[in-house]
Amino acid sequence: MAKLYYTPKEVAEILDISDDAVLDLVNRGSLPALRASPRITRIPIAAFDLWREGFRPKRRRVSMSPARRKVIVGEGEKLPAARRMVRA
Amino acid sequence: MTLASASDLLTYLADLVETLERYAITLLPPNDADEIALGAERDGSLVIELGGRLPTPRRSKDVDLRVFERWRAVDADEWVCVEYAYELRHRELDYRRALHRHDEDHFVRLFGVATHEHCEVPMGVLTCGHYRGVPVTDAFDAFKRLYEEWLGDEKPDCRGLPCLG
Repeated sequence: MAKLYYTPKEVAEILDISDDAVLDLVNRGSLPALRASPRITRIPIAAFDLWREGFRPKRRRVSMSPARRKVIVGEGEKLPAARRMVRA
Repeated sequence: MTLASASDLLTYLADLVETLERYAITLLPPNDADEIALGAERDGSLVIELGGRLPTPRRSKDVDLRVFERWRAVDADEWVCVEYAYELRHRELDYRRALHRHDEDHFVRLFGVATHEHCEVPMGVLTCGHYRGVPVTDAFDAFKRLYEEWLGDEKPDCRGLPCLG
């Protein structure tokens, strides 16, 4: 199993700051992280590396234009059938 | 139900792309360009369609993320999301997870829920065709759920999900 995320404690050690300072970066939305639960925060290593390199995504221009193709959501899926009532 | 104006949707899409890139997702063409499109279909629906690749070690097979949403007008410049499909295909671990909303009438009539999920381990093998789905708030919520799944770096335990049929 590959290691894909750091804990706040691990990031704190890498950056040489406190755990609370890491959580503060997360809470402010500066450092990309996922909250698996209120007590578990995961910092994806790939996202952390980009952040540390100073990468900030360029804001894209978004415009409306004709859709490239017609997507049928669920195409090819066999829809589930109704289940027959079973009584003991 | 979330209502949005066309302008809200343009901002939503720009925010989504920004978030994906912050989480090291590589957007696939044509969404890797400076300008991205909110698609307008002939019947007036608006669609968001994005494909991305998650970061993987060299020589590892791809992990792909797909985002699709269809929004319909319910009033003058008021749109609501009527269909979605968020998909994660992990080719290295050979599994597929998907969060879907489509054929709503059918699912609501039979199961009382509008949404469903897919879980395939290995990919293409259906132990159950459709699992009961926890409704997705928006693309950010879906992305985080699928990204969290990927982050665990394990095959999902599909047996833990309630099967609809």
